[in-house]
Amino acid sequence: MAGDQNPRTGGGPDDVPTGAGQGWTALAYLITGMLVWGFIGWLVDQWLDTGGIATGIGVVLGMAGGIVLVVRRLGTPT
Amino acid sequence: MFGQANVLAQGEAAFPPSVEDFYLPSILPWGAENSYWFTKITAMVWIAVGVLIIFFLVSYRKPQLVPTKKQWFAESIYGFVRNNIAVDMIGHAGVRFAPYFTTLFCFILLTNFFAILPGFQISPNSHIAFPAILAVISYVLFIYAGIRHHGAGKFIRNSLIPPAPWYILPLLIPIEFFSTFLVRPFSLAVRLFANMFAGHMLLLVFTLGGFAMLNANAWFAPVSVLSWVMTVALTFLEFLVIVLQAYVFTVLTASYVQGALAEEH
Repeated sequence: MAGDQNPRTGGGPDDVPTGAGQGWTALAYLITGMLVWGFIGWLVDQWLDTGGIATGIGVVLGMAGGIVLVVRRLGTPT
Repeated sequence: MFGQANVLAQGEAAFPPSVEDFYLPSILPWGAENSYWFTKITAMVWIAVGVLIIFFLVSYRKPQLVPTKKQWFAESIYGFVRNNIAVDMIGHAGVRFAPYFTTLFCFILLTNFFAILPGFQISPNSHIAFPAILAVISYVLFIYAGIRHHGAGKFIRNSLIPPAPWYILPLLIPIEFFSTFLVRPFSLAVRLFANMFAGHMLLLVFTLGGFAMLNANAWFAPVSVLSWVMTVALTFLEFLVIVLQAYVFTVLTASYVQGALAEEH
């Protein structure tokens, strides 16, 4: 992703955040994705007594969601 | 300070250090048990507030075209935050927020710096309460800025609904909600708190560890010296962490404000 960053423009409210902010945002998405859907999966586990399978599915879903969010929110607008 | 050193030399200080070491004795009323209304921490926060107010008032009382040294210093700090954080992250609209960012940056920098300032030697930010309040201020600020810029409905829609096909939205909206409205203030507060807490703890471990080994057996003296050398080295590392955390807190606040003001993609 390093190669397709926008060239630095004059700035403006609709630019993607630069540098550090972008990194932290991406990290937050990846981690919260896993946490949120992992937690939902865990709740399903408790409810249906599936012994951890739902948590696993949730974490994987959350990872996918986090990656989609990073691409959609921070990737180069097409 | 010297009383403390005597206590250490006599081997009365507890090793390993614990969370108790972060709760300093009450100043007003003097030496009261379990009274935390006015402690060294409280005093340090007020000193930081006072120092910052007085410094900026004095250095800008008679502004000159060719700045004096003090004025140059104050202007450099403000200029740095304004140009390298506010304008860099938010763009032209960021200038409005520069005063808040500068205040935030200076306050965190100074209160963090108390961690290694002789005589102070603990940062108020190593208590979760202070980072938490700072994070709440930033949280309210970015939500307020977003609502004022877009209106409540559009702001919430912008921040919760990412640009993605409708069929993955159910997967993404909970993540957006968590990361924007719950994780942000929490991670801001915890990042600053944990860094300052860990830094103070490290310095305590190496300082007190030196004394503990010396008291255990005189043959450990070289190891004690090594431990104190480590303390000095870690103090320099602490300085790096202090500046970095003040910067990161401000940059992240700016990044959140930027996100709140951003138009739909």
